[in-house]
Amino acid sequence: MVGTRVIPCLLLCGTRLMKTVKFKDARYLGDPRNAVRIFNDKEVDELVLLDILATREGKAPVEELIREIVSEAFMPVAYGGGITTLAQAKRIVQLGVEKVILCSAAIRDLELVRQCSADLGAQSVVGCIDVNRNMLGKAEVWTHGGTVNTKQDPVEVAKRLEDSGVGEIIVNAIHRDGLMKGYDTALIKSISSAVTVPVVACGGAGSIEDFRSAVDAGGASAVAAGSLFVYQGKFKAVLINFPTQSELESVLQTR
Amino acid sequence: MHPVRPYQICTRCIMDTSDPLIEFNSAGICNHCRGYEHQKQTMVWDEETRETRLQALVGAIRNSGKKHEFDCLIGVSGGVDSTYVAYQVKKLGLRPLAVHMDNGWNSELAVSNIKKTLDTLEIPLDTEVLDWEEFKDLQLAFLKASTPDSEIPTDHAITAVLMQRARQHGIKYVIMGSNVSSEAIMPSSWSNGIRDWKYIKSVHARFGTVPLRSFPRFTLLQFIFSRTVYGLRWVNILDSIDYDKARAMKVIEDELGWVYYGGKHYESIYTRFFQSYILPRKFGYDKRRAHLSTLVMSGTITREGALKAMEEPICEEGLLRQDKQYVIKKLGLTEAEFEELMARAPRTIADYPAYENTLLLRVLRACYRLPRTLKAALSKASPGGAA
Repeated sequence: MVGTRVIPCLLLCGTRLMKTVKFKDARYLGDPRNAVRIFNDKEVDELVLLDILATREGKAPVEELIREIVSEAFMPVAYGGGITTLAQAKRIVQLGVEKVILCSAAIRDLELVRQCSADLGAQSVVGCIDVNRNMLGKAEVWTHGGTVNTKQDPVEVAKRLEDSGVGEIIVNAIHRDGLMKGYDTALIKSISSAVTVPVVACGGAGSIEDFRSAVDAGGASAVAAGSLFVYQGKFKAVLINFPTQSELESVLQTR
Repeated sequence: MHPVRPYQICTRCIMDTSDPLIEFNSAGICNHCRGYEHQKQTMVWDEETRETRLQALVGAIRNSGKKHEFDCLIGVSGGVDSTYVAYQVKKLGLRPLAVHMDNGWNSELAVSNIKKTLDTLEIPLDTEVLDWEEFKDLQLAFLKASTPDSEIPTDHAITAVLMQRARQHGIKYVIMGSNVSSEAIMPSSWSNGIRDWKYIKSVHARFGTVPLRSFPRFTLLQFIFSRTVYGLRWVNILDSIDYDKARAMKVIEDELGWVYYGGKHYESIYTRFFQSYILPRKFGYDKRRAHLSTLVMSGTITREGALKAMEEPICEEGLLRQDKQYVIKKLGLTEAEFEELMARAPRTIADYPAYENTLLLRVLRACYRLPRTLKAALSKASPGGAA
């Protein structure tokens, strides 16, 4: 068994499965139910679902779709997008979701994180930080699907999320999203060395070798990827795939 | 509806009166056996000239793509025939572009077979993803129309996408996996209208609810145009070689790591369910009968072997139950709604507006087939003379 969790990160726009580049130019990938079913048969450890439009459009999570997906999935599913209240978070856990992911709401409202953590347990609450580097290379936290710049420092935000009780933190690099040229390992390192909770690297994976650098150089506990698991070859043809255990073992430590 | 007739089974293949239009001669041999022989004579290349003709064809294909990145297009589904086509075209030294159409029903085996095949053979892939809300609506429309042609929209869209990609990349040859030796027999009453946009459109107009904005399509005129003016050629390469399905499966298993999925076209979950549940239970026939009859005629299996294979369950019970649940859920139906669709009286393409039902199409088809028919008649009259 590979010790590092390798997590497909699937983006939803309502009920449509999409993939972005730098959080923009969303391309349609098909029906999320079928994609999840295929990942299921590929026996992936864990799945992240993020509705990237919900917060931007002020919409609540699409419960019907979440229920259908979770009822089809054998692996733990983490869901994020549009969650703004404890009641919503609880409702989503009741649908069978293992972990709720708090993005924009967590950064605005640490009290929500505290409430969710107290009620659902820290292991069920994930903080997600979308980070973009400005022209000078300074890392800044963005919210609302990468449309609002909070100008906050990601390390400070991560520390506050940890103090408020999140069980892990996903670090999503907007400037690397969909480029398949590798993770921002310096960014991951800055956060993973400042907090004790597990950090999930996301944004930029282009090959399974990138997983190793996220872990070795970035100190990530888990790696997430989008394009790598949904595209094939130079035309970026849509084809769900996932590395075999032996391929993963060749780049990641086994336990 | 066709009148009920007494049960009869062909004495040569295993086709029977589950094809309402089947005809038997005085020896009890059916029209499908005769049809098979006609196709074998006119479409499969004979052994003596095969090699020379194949080299000429490969030369023509290469020549047509000289100025382009690719010289031919292949469709890939993860199934036996299309995988073997990929293997063959590379072996022939061609430079193919593979196209896959994702209609939302891919199985894990389908996608992993495609990936292994194309990675091993180093063939680039392009995928067309159908808009699921539109396509779901179209599939539902066909179930409501109550004809056995629910798979037509997929086949139509694949053809449309291949035509579109060919033009986009300047490709003149589409290499297909259709073949006489394992597919020649298929009653026309069992499936109709692959190229019939008028039919698909009319069924959707009557039963659909979501507008078809992005669904890939082509009209009869566009199809004729693509062949005559653009010069697109559709080549059934497996008829040009000695194609034996069982042998082909062994080759792709050994050399590409391809994995079998348990039935013809079962690489798609919907196809698996449609063929093993809806067709037998609602329309009263089992497509395996046609597939096996073809194999009997091509000498791949014996008639006894085919009859024995028909006694096997069409699909494993547990899988069938699981598929049924998934299909109902994915199409957004309730159990009761699905059962209501199953209970609707079967209809045929004749009940809806379609090119198929127009005189124009019959005339065009006869004209198109004329050279081939004449050639066959000539070669029969003077054996060897027309080779």
